[in-house]
Amino acid sequence: MSVGREVGSSGMDLLVEAGAVLATSLDLPTTMSQVARLTVPRLADLCVIDLQAQDGSITEVAVAAGDQQLARDLESLRRRFPIDPGGEHPAARVIRSGAPLLLAEMSSSLLRSFAQGSEHARLMIEHDYHSAAVAPLQARGRTLGALSVLRLADGMPYGEADLALLSELARRAGLAIDNARLFSDLRGAEQRLEAVLVNLAEAITMEDESGRTVFANQAAADLLGVSAPEVLTGAEPGATSGRFLTLDEEGTELAPQDMPGRRLFAGEHPEPMLVRGIVRATGEERWLVVRSSPVVDSATKRITHVVNVFENITVVKRAELAESFMAEASRVLASSMDYTATLARVARLAAPQIADWCAIDVLTDDDEIERVAVHHTDPDKLALLERLDREYRPRTDDPVGIAEVLRSGKPRLYADIKPDALADYARDDRHLELLRELGTTAVIVVPIVGATRAAIGTITLASGPTPRRLTRADLGLAVRLGRRAGTAVERARIYTERSRIAHILQRSLLPESLPEIPGMQVRALYSAAGELNEVGGDFYDVLDYDADRWMLVVGDVVGKGPRAAGVTALARHTLRAAAISGRSPSAMLETLHQALRRQPRGGDLCTVCLVTVRLSAGRTHLNVALAGHEPPLLIEPDGEARQLGRPGTLLGVIDPIKIAETAAELHAGQTLLMFTDGVTEAGRPDDALGSNGLRELCREAPSLSLQGLLERIERAAVERSGGYLHDDIALLALCVSVQPTAER
Amino acid sequence: MVVVRLDGELDLASAPLLESEMERPEVGAAARVVLDLRELQFIDSTGLRTIFTAQARSREREQEFAVTRGPEQVQRLLSITRLAEHLRIVDSPEQMLP
Repeated sequence: MSVGREVGSSGMDLLVEAGAVLATSLDLPTTMSQVARLTVPRLADLCVIDLQAQDGSITEVAVAAGDQQLARDLESLRRRFPIDPGGEHPAARVIRSGAPLLLAEMSSSLLRSFAQGSEHARLMIEHDYHSAAVAPLQARGRTLGALSVLRLADGMPYGEADLALLSELARRAGLAIDNARLFSDLRGAEQRLEAVLVNLAEAITMEDESGRTVFANQAAADLLGVSAPEVLTGAEPGATSGRFLTLDEEGTELAPQDMPGRRLFAGEHPEPMLVRGIVRATGEERWLVVRSSPVVDSATKRITHVVNVFENITVVKRAELAESFMAEASRVLASSMDYTATLARVARLAAPQIADWCAIDVLTDDDEIERVAVHHTDPDKLALLERLDREYRPRTDDPVGIAEVLRSGKPRLYADIKPDALADYARDDRHLELLRELGTTAVIVVPIVGATRAAIGTITLASGPTPRRLTRADLGLAVRLGRRAGTAVERARIYTERSRIAHILQRSLLPESLPEIPGMQVRALYSAAGELNEVGGDFYDVLDYDADRWMLVVGDVVGKGPRAAGVTALARHTLRAAAISGRSPSAMLETLHQALRRQPRGGDLCTVCLVTVRLSAGRTHLNVALAGHEPPLLIEPDGEARQLGRPGTLLGVIDPIKIAETAAELHAGQTLLMFTDGVTEAGRPDDALGSNGLRELCREAPSLSLQGLLERIERAAVERSGGYLHDDIALLALCVSVQPTAER
Repeated sequence: MVVVRLDGELDLASAPLLESEMERPEVGAAARVVLDLRELQFIDSTGLRTIFTAQARSREREQEFAVTRGPEQVQRLLSITRLAEHLRIVDSPEQMLP
């Protein structure tokens, strides 16, 4: 070793010692002061290490001296007056040039020339700086700083051999300082990273290939339901995942190897995954998006660790599920007026979507609790629930549960049901046994609130025996469901009642049977709009008002509901009275018009097609009078139809009215068809049947019976309306019976 | 002159709209009111009644009142009910200008 010869044996000792000392520390200040102390007193009276920071300033310093006071003073000076990197100070020059510098003999003027201020100059002169050697500290091709040794007063001036030894020492010290610095940077980076991870809101864990959690932050501990991250990092592999029941979005249980972290180790490239975790200990539910990233060893290219980031989206997901559940439930509740069937569907929707089982009870008119729907995700448990209802149906005087909610109208959460509570609730041992078998962990009972704000029933949602646990967080959704169901039940009850009244009223407004007209056939057909939930405005009537005279009427009172029903009754009876008093068709209509105009509230109007029939000497004389109504059709034996009568004024709107009478004769084979606009307007606005459509249907008349014709027209109207009449229709038809009516 | 333009359907459901339109100050203040029925797609007897209510309201205010000739269905119902005879029907609102 060439250097060895030049530095001599004491130099060799120094270098050996340096190697030993420098290998022991990775702490930068320790390393620096160790280097400095190596040189004192063997090589120097004073040793200074100046390091350049990344910004170019020379700020880090280590000083060793035989005179401790000097060391302290110089260190203090350096901190207060750092060396100017661009100045004449030998350390700055060496750092700039990267070459060693020997200042064998230093005059006071030289010292002054590079002094960093007068205090520095004074210190150097006072301590009699005499000879100096400065070597660059280098590593990885960069100059890190300078190692300066000095002899004071009458010390031997440094020579080239000293400079060579110093340079060699500086080379080793440079590497040690570089390592210490790198280590310190790394530690700093790690500490910063850890500080970031620890404080992140997202739960983060790091696992190794065995599945052991090597790092976890507090958010991860909170998420997994443990007190501190150390509980997780101290656990055996797999113990962490065991705290959770992990399910996918559809509710299928996931094994640890399904999770993104394990799949990364298996060589897959998993997408972020949405999982539903249930904390086994508490039943708490969490929706998490799990993202895993590999940590790859740069040398082996193998995955050493996986970092898992758990984003807790429980609040968002629950809101989303609640919205979609409510939307579906609302759709079901609005779908039908049969509320028993509807509530059964709601129960099936609720379990499994928001509970493990669901029961719906209503308060009957007799003040009893009646179960109208029940569902459990487990069929065996459903049978158990049904049995419980048969044998231990809730009573209105029960202190808790359904009865209490019915009384108070307030939602109740029975969270975390304990065996003791069950024993208190159970009526006898058998009841208790059945309840225990059911394995319910938590129950929510919400009122079904009607229009009067009183509870008309309850919805019971329950969890168990699955790990699901209903909590306060589920209460809001349950209350909304109760309100929504209340509206539906109320509506259905009113509807049922109204349908019943409407049906009775409708019958009272129409003739129960049609009178016989000798030698003639008369048929009528009435079909109400929708599901017969309101009294329609159409009416028809046939009256024998004189020995050989009949009145046939089809009319339409404007509007719907009770008021229209009243006007319908008025119209029928006024026309009957007018006919019996012997008035002409136009006078009958005038009478009705005046009656409508005299109605106290005003604004009632009515269209009428009135036909009188007079039989005389085997002939059938018709007299047609119209008031704002579609003219009737006269259908020829070949099916050709034409309108009969002339327009007359709509009744009840304006005075005076003008009604024309049109006389005609009905021959054998001809048919008179009277109808309301519910027929011609069926299918409006896109595809109305219209007058032409009706005339087309009449072409089928020759092959149909009279009743068959009316039914054919009704069917066509229903089909046009898309299977659901939007307006009532009334049809009245008359024809001459030719001999026996076999051919018709 | 105020022109009240009607489109869509004039029936039980939409009749209140026309009734409230008739009560607007600018309608009340005009010398002439024209209901423009040209864009009306459908009218039923309730709709007809509303037109006559509007006409009666105009007469109370001593306004001139007219309707424009509507599409086929409107004209047909006006003729079946013979209510056309009780209305001043013009081809366009401009005909009402003196």
